[in-house]
Amino acid sequence: MAGMAAAALPVIASGRDIRLDLFRGLALWFIFVDHIPTNVVSWLTVRNYGFSDATEIFVFISGYTAVIAYARMMAREGWVRAAARIYRRVWQLYVAHILLFVAFSAQVAWVSIARDTPALIEEMELLGLGQNPYQAILEAALLKFRPVNLDVLPLYIVLLGFFPFVLPAVVRWPLGVIAASLALYAATCHYDWNLPAYPENKVWYFNPMAWQVVFYVGAACAMLGRQFAWLDRFRRPLAVLAILYLLFSAFIALSWHYNPLEQLIPNWISRHIYPIDKTNIDILRFLHFLAIAWLVRLAVPAHAAFLKWRIFEPLRRCGEHSLQVFCLGIFLALTGQVVVARNEDSIVAQIGVSIAGLLIMTAAAYGAAWYKRGPAVEDAA
Amino acid sequence: MTRRAAWVGMALAMTLCSSGASAQMRECRASRELLDLGNPLEIARTAVADERELRIVAMGSSSTQGFGTTNPQYAYPFQLKMKLEAALPGVAIHVYNKGIGGQDVEEMTARMRTDVKPERAHLVIWQVGTNSAIRRVPLEQFGARLRAGIDIGKSLGANFVLMNLQYVPAVVALPDEEEYARVMADVAKEKGAGLFRRFEIMRAWYKDGMPYSQFVTSDGLHLNDFGQKCIGKLLSTAILDTIAPKQLTGAPAKPH
Repeated sequence: MAGMAAAALPVIASGRDIRLDLFRGLALWFIFVDHIPTNVVSWLTVRNYGFSDATEIFVFISGYTAVIAYARMMAREGWVRAAARIYRRVWQLYVAHILLFVAFSAQVAWVSIARDTPALIEEMELLGLGQNPYQAILEAALLKFRPVNLDVLPLYIVLLGFFPFVLPAVVRWPLGVIAASLALYAATCHYDWNLPAYPENKVWYFNPMAWQVVFYVGAACAMLGRQFAWLDRFRRPLAVLAILYLLFSAFIALSWHYNPLEQLIPNWISRHIYPIDKTNIDILRFLHFLAIAWLVRLAVPAHAAFLKWRIFEPLRRCGEHSLQVFCLGIFLALTGQVVVARNEDSIVAQIGVSIAGLLIMTAAAYGAAWYKRGPAVEDAA
Repeated sequence: MTRRAAWVGMALAMTLCSSGASAQMRECRASRELLDLGNPLEIARTAVADERELRIVAMGSSSTQGFGTTNPQYAYPFQLKMKLEAALPGVAIHVYNKGIGGQDVEEMTARMRTDVKPERAHLVIWQVGTNSAIRRVPLEQFGARLRAGIDIGKSLGANFVLMNLQYVPAVVALPDEEEYARVMADVAKEKGAGLFRRFEIMRAWYKDGMPYSQFVTSDGLHLNDFGQKCIGKLLSTAILDTIAPKQLTGAPAKPH
């Protein structure tokens, strides 16, 4: 198996593709900004200009980088070792999620105890945790109870948990994996499958059986060197299609903000596009992401000089330390929400909170990079 | 540098655009006529006056469950509990959330007895219609199931308030969503149930210039935090106006 994988390996781009870090960093910034419910700065994110948002970018890049990281390891050291490394990563994600859950709950509790904004306290109560804390903690440990905004990491954990079993197939038959992934996605949407959640009758907000399609298409793309060469023969018509689709979806998305635009949309179009489900990642969302990805691929070659500009370094740093930055961003988004609400949704507060949060996230990323660069002291663990 | 200038320009333009939405457009509101439930809700009124207790079952689908909110606390049943408690001091308010996402009238009628009986509800809020309209349940069948469900709840000694469809892109695009709302109004009148006109209330928001992004999530179907909280507030006002008009001191329905 290792030999087979090695034969396929030259396809994988050698060296670190800094586009991945840059765009993952950007996605993390977007996720932070979008998670503050009332925030004008979210007008600078993709969300308001089309169907998909930063979640797709994050999950896709996660699949792509997973293949790059672990396929090489599997080729060198065998499947068992690669799988063990993947599970170590899964464990890190799990620990990070539980830590985030505790920190998040503590922040909510702190806001509630500091009883100077009664309206906020009523609304901030973490339902489930308040009524039946013991069970809620158990369900949180099982990833079934995920209060406000804590949905993305559990999705990632489940996706990566299955990844070792798909990794050998992705390396050999990327197209086959895409086909299987699409089939599972279609079946999930058709039969309405989802994983159980807590409280009872709830479902996973990001359904792993549907969202796996983004992850595995991303994973397969890391292996599709030849096929992309073939696709490149149609690069222009595909780019035109992508642009038209982005324009269409931007029109729809902006119509949610301006009723006069909304009234221009014929009923039969609305009937076909709505609802644009996020839980099972509606095909319109996925296509929207793919259109963006295709255009970015054309516009930003892997070795484009501007990728290395210093001005983009904060984004790259955040992308390199995505787990820490992601967790911090979710935590800070809640802080931001509280601060914005306390300042009666003032625009100054929204902008200030956004900038402060991004600065803190960036500082944390630089801090993490600094630790990593330090003298190589072997941890006992 | 021009690129950076362009970004700053765009940021400014966007900020101006979004701040242009006036505060009045963001207000949670409904006219008094739209908040008239059309039924005195005698059982609930008596429970509040004599027993100093009100037990409410919120029967419904994703709107009741709170799908689309960032916090389940924002879903209308929780908002209802909060507002009623604030307006009726000394009255024990219980709201039992029986929302299950994706269900339509048939599934809810099937569980009406098991979900209402143990809670000894005085009042059942039944949020229904949207999933039936989306699934194209034949109108006659829809009406029949609705009557059957109300009969079960009434036999258990509860008043009813039917909450009709939400006015959102995915529902408005349906060919006959208003027919479902009409059947609900007919059945409410026939069976002596109250009717909370969510569809008409939200349509008034839209007609007054409130954009969908204000009250709908990006899927075009579910209510977001604002939408849920506002519906919860208006439902509370409508119920209070009906069952405890004298105790309603500071929060009359906002006419506009």
